[in-house]
Amino acid sequence: MAIIKRITSSLAAWVAATPLLAWLLGALAAVLLEHGVGRPLADLLGLPKVPVLFGMVLALKSPGLILSAVAYGTIIYIVPIVLITRLGAGVLNQAAAGLLRLNLSASVVIHLCLLYAVLHLWSDISDYRVLTLKLTLIAVMLTLSLNVINGYMGEFSCSHPGFMALGAYVTSVFTVAFFVKDKLFGPPLLPPELGPYFFPVALVLGGLAAALGALLVAIPSFRTRGDYLAIISLAFMFIVKSAIENLEVVGGARGLRSQPDWANLPFVFLVTVLCVWVINNFVNSTMGKALNAVRDNEMAAEAMTVDTRRTKIVAFMFAGFWAGVAGGLFAHVLRYVNPATFGIQRLAEVLAMVYFGGLNSVYGSIVGAVSINLLGEALRPLELFKWIIIPLLLILVMIYRPTGLVSFKEFNVRRLVSPKTPPGGDR
Amino acid sequence: MTYFLQNLVNALQWGSFYALIALGYSMVYSILMLFNFAHGDIFMVGAYIGFGVASALVAFNSLGLVVLPGWLLLVLTILVSMLLTSFVGMLVERIGYRPLRDAPRASAAITGLMIGIILETGNLALLGAQRVRLPTMIQSVTYDLGGVFITNKKIMIVLVSLGLMLTLHQFVRRTKWGMAMRAMAYDYAVVPLMGVPLNKIAAMTFAIGSALAAAAGILYGVAYPVLDPYMGIVFGWKAFVAAILGGRGSIMGACLAGFLLGFIEIFVTMVFPSTLRDLIAYGIIMLILVFRPHGFFGEAYSARLRL
Amino acid sequence: MSLLRVEHMTHYFGGLQAVSDYALELEPGQIKGLIGPNGAGKTTIFNLITGIHTPSEGHVYLDGQEITGLRPHRIAAQGLGRTFQNLALWRHMTVLEHVKMAHYSRIDYGLVGAFLGSRRRRVQEQEFTERSRELLRMLDIESHAEQLVVNLPYGVQRRVEMARALATDPKVLLLDEPTVGMTAEELRQMIEVIHLVHQRLGLAVFIIEHRLRFVMELCQEVQTLVFGRVVAQGEPEEILNHPKVIEAYLGEDWED
Repeated sequence: MAIIKRITSSLAAWVAATPLLAWLLGALAAVLLEHGVGRPLADLLGLPKVPVLFGMVLALKSPGLILSAVAYGTIIYIVPIVLITRLGAGVLNQAAAGLLRLNLSASVVIHLCLLYAVLHLWSDISDYRVLTLKLTLIAVMLTLSLNVINGYMGEFSCSHPGFMALGAYVTSVFTVAFFVKDKLFGPPLLPPELGPYFFPVALVLGGLAAALGALLVAIPSFRTRGDYLAIISLAFMFIVKSAIENLEVVGGARGLRSQPDWANLPFVFLVTVLCVWVINNFVNSTMGKALNAVRDNEMAAEAMTVDTRRTKIVAFMFAGFWAGVAGGLFAHVLRYVNPATFGIQRLAEVLAMVYFGGLNSVYGSIVGAVSINLLGEALRPLELFKWIIIPLLLILVMIYRPTGLVSFKEFNVRRLVSPKTPPGGDR
Repeated sequence: MTYFLQNLVNALQWGSFYALIALGYSMVYSILMLFNFAHGDIFMVGAYIGFGVASALVAFNSLGLVVLPGWLLLVLTILVSMLLTSFVGMLVERIGYRPLRDAPRASAAITGLMIGIILETGNLALLGAQRVRLPTMIQSVTYDLGGVFITNKKIMIVLVSLGLMLTLHQFVRRTKWGMAMRAMAYDYAVVPLMGVPLNKIAAMTFAIGSALAAAAGILYGVAYPVLDPYMGIVFGWKAFVAAILGGRGSIMGACLAGFLLGFIEIFVTMVFPSTLRDLIAYGIIMLILVFRPHGFFGEAYSARLRL
Repeated sequence: MSLLRVEHMTHYFGGLQAVSDYALELEPGQIKGLIGPNGAGKTTIFNLITGIHTPSEGHVYLDGQEITGLRPHRIAAQGLGRTFQNLALWRHMTVLEHVKMAHYSRIDYGLVGAFLGSRRRRVQEQEFTERSRELLRMLDIESHAEQLVVNLPYGVQRRVEMARALATDPKVLLLDEPTVGMTAEELRQMIEVIHLVHQRLGLAVFIIEHRLRFVMELCQEVQTLVFGRVVAQGEPEEILNHPKVIEAYLGEDWED
């Protein structure tokens, strides 16, 4: 027991002394190493190919290779990260401090560039990684935007797949009709070369369509809360799905395909960062904190001059907008959508990510979306049992941490990029 | 006119499934102020348990030791399955709801949803993706009442459903346990202080609700014998909507709203193409809730506050 | 012209008459009290004045302007601050966040500022923080600024509510049973606090109370409400000996 205690405390001290900069550089070293020697190392260890998801999928598929997969993970990922974070902590703390003194925004941008470099190099190995990464980033946007309503404002909204569908279809119709030769819409109306420049416009249109749809849920929420609002939002979701199924113009139940391939990794990454940044800005302002006041006591909020109706409209439309944008990206990542994608299944998934990660917390949404998504991919070889393990995990989290893993925690960018000084020591 | 009457009969049958399932949602709500989101899947489990029991009984019958008549097989199937499914319900309460009694309500909703997924997947894992057929126990007889066709099955389904609802009503009104349930529905916080054991009542409520869902599952199987693991999703969510429409925690409301939903769906398909069924049904529900935000029999807990 | 004037206010819940023909004149700098047995409709009168319910009949004027039928946040922004009988705090918010939130009506950085974080927003949020801290200092609870309200002692929670109400910049402060459930020590402190806001900020105060001693000590004039109707009105001493008041309070522990 004493040993475990010592290990955990030294681990904690290590983590406490390591700035974000060091983690990112460590990860960068790891992915560079994988680029250089990943393939030969995998051959050497007898692995059929470079393990795509840290060897988890491989270990489940052919248990005989577990040792090799672990060895691969250790050499490629753990060793460089540990080395850099341990040896470089001092220098990098100073570097982080220097950056911060220079300018907060500059420091944030540099961190983001590093993060992107890591993700890009990591996903470069295989198309599967690129796809998983894009879908995970989109899941972060969805989860965070649902958290605005269900976490920050405390309503139980079930309409998110509906908002997502609105965004996905409006964006797709725009891009397909204007820039692609297609069975449904005929020849492109504008020269396709212009397309990529209009993609952000298409996404904004999709987001706005979803935000308008969100009004249909927001207005009833003036008078109704809790269960009844949950049902109204659920009905909204079914209505959107069913409406699309009946709209032959956009392909009906068969779906809509041939979206152009514009949702590349840098673009999805940028939009996700924008989404996190804007939502975090909002929920930390007094105007955004009004959501919490409405959640915790609506009557008191009104008595303290908070316009609760406006607050609700803003929250629903804002969340709807980002869900719509996420839907638009989703459609262009898969380059095919059909209404069945936006049903109860999707709802359960988004709710799971929000409540697993943690309510009222940007960290929580990131943790929830990333872990549920990666877990889902990693457990894929288990097929059916995946859908027993993940729900069980979520039930356990709900029992032991009913508001999720990282709930009610403020996402402070300055603290995130600040240097870390070990307790009791000044290096 | 006959066309209308024919649809009326169909709507009665369709509505009785919804009503029986909605009862389970509503009862749990009245006791715990929570919806049991696994309830739709308990309906599915009930139907499958019914399939197991019926298959066993039919096999036993074919041995020729004693030959039981078809109606007795059906009655036995319903009763045994109701009993078995009530245990499933109690298990769900024990695992997914009791540990979360003091947690935020949304957390319990999530565990319910997850238990539902586990039940669906468990079923797939056990029985495979093939659909199963509930064995035929009673032969279908069709009566022609001046152009309106009614089968003995439809009559049986509606009568059994109504019978179960009446039994529940009597149970809640007349027995000691029923009274304890009503007291608990009235005041969740105080009643346990007066010596009524909350855990027991909660378990019992889940048991009764699940038993009714099992009955609905088997009756559904009698009408539409092909079962599949996801049948609980569609039915469950719609019955849940009915429970809310009836007013949270109102038994009477749940029954009426269940039938209402059945009527809406059947009559929508009478007039419009059937692909529009969900669209119009949910549209009507949304309108009802917007203009009558607390259902038909629910108390307007904050309607007086002008916020 | 009185600061807060209520004329012929009557209200029905369903068919039940909860308040009948209520009138009030509150002058600037005045402290008035409203007493009455439980269920007399005292809180209903507060809710009618502050817009949580709209009166079935009658008019409410604040500083000469009619506020009848406005939504509560508009009325609050026009200068009617209030506290609640059973503390209506926001359980996941810190003390400082509570007081900052009450500045909502003065936010002028708009949605764009909230989403993108403009300079205007930084400046204004800073202003709100400073002003909130000032109020907390005045009420002697600044040391709790970063704590969640649920973890604080009852007396402090009451002060948080008071600070929050003051942050809306009210002309009139409505206090709904500010001493309910308080110990003798907390009660004494609350009297000081009310004196403080009355003298330092010069506010008019309207208090619902159950404890007569408290009302007697603070108020210049007292109304007595029984079954939604004012049965007696006057200086505290008059009220104390008024036969209708004695009748209404008969059997109640009104000197607790």
